[in-house]
Amino acid sequence: MKFMPLLLLAVLWQTASMTGLLPATVLPPFSSVVAALVSLVTSGEIFPHTAASFLRAGAGLLLAVIFGTALGLAMARVRAIQRSIEPILLSIYPVPKPALIPLFMVWLGIGDVSKIAVIALSCLVPVVISTFNGARAVDDILLWSARARGTAEHRLLWRVVLPAALPQIATGVRTAIAIALIVMVSSEFISAEHGLGYLIFSYGGVGADDAMLAVVLYLTAIGFLIDRAYVAGLRRLLAWHAFAH
Amino acid sequence: MLPACAGCWLGMPSRTETNRNILQQVLPLGTLLLVWELVARAGVVNPYVFPPVSAIVMQWASLFGNGSIFAPLGATVWRALAGLGAAVIIGAPLGMLMGRARWAQWFFEPLFSFFFPLPKIALIPLYVHLFGLFSFSKVMLIFTDCIFPIVIFTYHGARGVSPIYPWSAQARGTSHLRMFWRVVFPLSLDSLYDGIQVAVVVAVLVAVVSEMIAGGGGLGYAMMLAFRYGDVRSAFAFLVTISLVGFFLYKVVQLLRERLLFWHVTET
Repeated sequence: MKFMPLLLLAVLWQTASMTGLLPATVLPPFSSVVAALVSLVTSGEIFPHTAASFLRAGAGLLLAVIFGTALGLAMARVRAIQRSIEPILLSIYPVPKPALIPLFMVWLGIGDVSKIAVIALSCLVPVVISTFNGARAVDDILLWSARARGTAEHRLLWRVVLPAALPQIATGVRTAIAIALIVMVSSEFISAEHGLGYLIFSYGGVGADDAMLAVVLYLTAIGFLIDRAYVAGLRRLLAWHAFAH
Repeated sequence: MLPACAGCWLGMPSRTETNRNILQQVLPLGTLLLVWELVARAGVVNPYVFPPVSAIVMQWASLFGNGSIFAPLGATVWRALAGLGAAVIIGAPLGMLMGRARWAQWFFEPLFSFFFPLPKIALIPLYVHLFGLFSFSKVMLIFTDCIFPIVIFTYHGARGVSPIYPWSAQARGTSHLRMFWRVVFPLSLDSLYDGIQVAVVVAVLVAVVSEMIAGGGGLGYAMMLAFRYGDVRSAFAFLVTISLVGFFLYKVVQLLRERLLFWHVTET
């Protein structure tokens, strides 16, 4: 019900095409975009590309979450690490990450490794920053009471700091997911033989606008579903958390 | 439904310690650059692929010296600011309208929340087809990307306006239209500014990426060209310039905030 306006927009698009207000040379009618999407899905053509894209994005994101959380926690707990990493992080921050794609291709080749590396580096920054902020904001009372009940120092991190910082980390990861998709598509535009970005670019290049728009629509829907699933999953996972609303 | 937090958008870092001396700030970066220089000079890596820092700095200086960097620099900045400006002009009133009028919220909120996770860069081929190969398609893409933070921030800002202000304005006989201009607009300027601060970073990013992919001059194109010729030093110099442009524009916007919004009661 909430997404009625989307339907309305599609109907408007279709009528504009049918009445000739919107020539097919400018924008193909919505119905032929849908038809192209259906044939991409029924022929199975789109699935290997989807898999290639999301393996890259997923691998990069996973690396960023693992290393980013570890680094963020280390920065929050150890002063020397914070002092040495923070200036470097602040200087990486303004670099538009997709601009690193050609550099990583020169270093690591044009295959998947360079793409995954750029995605990981791009996603690392928000994960580190949110973990760091979350871990620093942990209530001292939690630490004190854990210590009073005999929790060993080395277990505090795992048992208290990480769980308490989870909501903040989760917000950083949500940002990282969006960044992963951006870098994934850009890297596939620049050089790839598989992937959704490659598919959009090659259909656009041969003037098959309906198929190109079908892939864009498909990508939008997947991005939307991933974001929704993430937020919904998080709400269940963090239901125990005092800060979860 | 839409992300509401100002700082979490692009994982914006916040300086944690302000009273830190310069040496502690510079030391880690200096060490990193020194190690880079030594590794590159030691001959363990191919200096064409991994040039020493000093060579990059020299190349950077010579790009400024012979003036060849100014045309691409100007093109990128111009496109980024034009797209951002258009996004503010269209997006700010739209966001405020969405925040105050039911029907506008009903229609636009689902559109923005559905297309929000789409990497707008995927629209490059479509925009090249619709708006041509040159600056116009790039400005339109920057506009499309920047309007999201602008609309979302002003929308939340206009929604969050304390009802006391409209009430007292209404009590004093302010009409609907004037209310928008005299009460809602000034009170949501603060969130609009948050949106602009996010959008300026996005604008530079999209400008550079669209130049890298679709060509047509600018720093992104110049960097790609340098890579194609195997001129990694120049490519690095362009990369540094790109990063500085983003950083500089972000800082300018941040510094202007106190000047422009000096009268605004910002809750901290």
